[in-house]
Amino acid sequence: MDAIRIPPPAELDRLEDEHFRQVVRAFLHDNYPEHLRNPPKRLHWAENKEWYMKLAEKGWLCPGWPKEYGGLGLSPAKQIILTEEYERYGVARTNDHGIVMLGPLVIKYGTEAQKKFFLPKILSGEHVWCQGYSEPNAGSDLAALRTEAVLEGDHYVVNGQKIWTTLAMDANWIFLLVRTDKNAKKQEGISFLLVDMKTPGITVRPIINLEMHDEFCETFFDNVRVPKENLVGTLNKGWDMAKALLGFERIFLGSPRQSGYALSRLKILAERMGVWEEAEFQDRYARLRLEFEDLKALFGVYVEKLKRGESLGPDVSMLKVIQTELFQKITDTMLEIAGENAGLLEPMEGNRDLNIGGLYIQARPATIYGGSNEIQRNILSKNVLNLPG
Amino acid sequence: MSAAVQDDRAESIRMIRDSAAAVAPPGGDLKRVRELRFQDLGFDPAVFRDMGEMGWIGLRVPEAAGGAGLGLGEACALAEELGAALVPEPLIPAMLSAAILAGTPRLAPLLAGEAVLLTAWQERADRLEVPGTPDAPRLFIPMAAGATALLLPVREGGKLALYEHPASGLTIERTQDGGNFGALTPRAGAGTKLAEDIGPALEAALEEAALLTGAYLLGGMERAFAMTLDYLKTRSQFGRIIGTFQALQHRAADLKMQLALTRASIESAAATLDAGATGDARRAAVSRAKARAAEASLRVTRECIQLHGGIGYTDQYDVGLYLRKAMVLANQFGSAALHRKRFMAVSPEVEE
Repeated sequence: MDAIRIPPPAELDRLEDEHFRQVVRAFLHDNYPEHLRNPPKRLHWAENKEWYMKLAEKGWLCPGWPKEYGGLGLSPAKQIILTEEYERYGVARTNDHGIVMLGPLVIKYGTEAQKKFFLPKILSGEHVWCQGYSEPNAGSDLAALRTEAVLEGDHYVVNGQKIWTTLAMDANWIFLLVRTDKNAKKQEGISFLLVDMKTPGITVRPIINLEMHDEFCETFFDNVRVPKENLVGTLNKGWDMAKALLGFERIFLGSPRQSGYALSRLKILAERMGVWEEAEFQDRYARLRLEFEDLKALFGVYVEKLKRGESLGPDVSMLKVIQTELFQKITDTMLEIAGENAGLLEPMEGNRDLNIGGLYIQARPATIYGGSNEIQRNILSKNVLNLPG
Repeated sequence: MSAAVQDDRAESIRMIRDSAAAVAPPGGDLKRVRELRFQDLGFDPAVFRDMGEMGWIGLRVPEAAGGAGLGLGEACALAEELGAALVPEPLIPAMLSAAILAGTPRLAPLLAGEAVLLTAWQERADRLEVPGTPDAPRLFIPMAAGATALLLPVREGGKLALYEHPASGLTIERTQDGGNFGALTPRAGAGTKLAEDIGPALEAALEEAALLTGAYLLGGMERAFAMTLDYLKTRSQFGRIIGTFQALQHRAADLKMQLALTRASIESAAATLDAGATGDARRAAVSRAKARAAEASLRVTRECIQLHGGIGYTDQYDVGLYLRKAMVLANQFGSAALHRKRFMAVSPEVEE
């Protein structure tokens, strides 16, 4: 690669898009640990800390934060380029809830004291955050959450249970949606609370998922005392704040990248199984391939909107549904043509490109997380098509 | 493209859409369409002339040759508007003819809408190749009952010559949408030679016609879907508006996604061609868009009928007209299966 000068972080937002892309490539080439490329599973903090700290050291950790808080101040369009290049290079996700969720929350709604205390500790890697939203009886219907915070003197006392707390075992802080008014309408009695995981009364229990991976946890709260200054924003306005944080990042749930990866593996598998040249397979592959190409075109429509400075409407839900269902159709096809190899626990012939069962299982949660596809269809029918009740 | 050029382009496309209202009333009144269907010609030559006067037949013809010199972005927008109103005049076949008449005296009367010149290129069902066999019957000439003359490509040596052939002696078959297909058995010596080699021009024109047909289908899908949404919001059963039923809401959401994919596919293909793509890139873009439009238009229109229930199955209700149009156009200028095959023959590897 030609030597490309990597400008100081504060100058990145001023680069032309194509130049910026080249800079990101060069940055990854120079800095990303080779052994962490394309990990087959989500990495724990012990594994991805090396990369997190490298990003922190270089000042690249928080692309979306304003510069005054230590971020890169990148526009949505540039953040998309950054993400595309990270994905292309096979960069692992870090424990990024502090960067993506908590930071923007505190910047938008936090007090000066909260900003001063929390933001630097995310930037230094001292605080690793996890997210406490879902509960056993509040999944798709998140506003039904019941974990309760009751004010007693200078503390909120928290009782309840969270679930699907991603990588909670790695985190030392958690941000919670809690019920602070049981008598209000369900969306109107919810608040945002920041909790130190070392506080007595918190229990974290890993959940083994279908990938045989402990990515998620259950997190229990038994009379956990939280200083009242750890409330973010206005009491009982947590739901509105959480909704306001759902920004342009929703577009990434519809990124064609996942399907593109699966599609190229389907071709490798079809060649290995000797069916690639068959007319019947070619037509099946063509259908998947064309769906992928049209998804890319539709994704491009939304990227263009962001480049023009427009915000995304509820119709962006379409991308998520189309992408995740295509991803599943591709892995369904892989399973079908693989014969008995479909049942193997490890990749076929020790080749990571032939991870048939693994990819099939990885495709399952895609239609569940980030708002299940059924919820996305509800959003489309109510907020885009304006169908009644 | 700079922001200013993009804005100009968007404005040009908006103007074309507005001008379509002259023939395609935005209110969606299909009275004229109903009156013309299953009649002798299947369309109105006076409206065809209007299209000529508005510059539509020569939309893609360079300005120096008497056309408007506009891009496929504009042409697709126009086709889409006409599709929404099920306009029956054979504009897309006429645009194809205009593309191969460059430098001939027959171009001007066609561009003016005075001569209805349709190209008799097809020798087999579901093909995009033009063998040009001198005496082979030419099939599926759209709206041929109203042709004033036919344009006949004939293979001569390595070239594809073009003849003008009288429209007499056509065999006419009616189509589901109320129009017709003509079949012509060429008569030796009956034609006048117009051009020595139109091979490359015809190949490019067939691709444009495939894309424009996709855009026309998109317009029809949009309109049929809009009618269906209105119905879901007003029809009541079991004491409830049926649009409140989640089973129907999710089907409507699925159709909306088909519309979004089709639009993205057509518009990105038009942009690819307008940016000057040639060869495989051009073929891949067109085939992708036509395959999508063909499948999606049939799916959307038949589901629109299902969502309407019994009323959707009556001839008097308009939604059925959109299904019948899709049945005719889905396979015109190549079926979904043909275009999938064509795409696979030229498509590059998946980019990672």
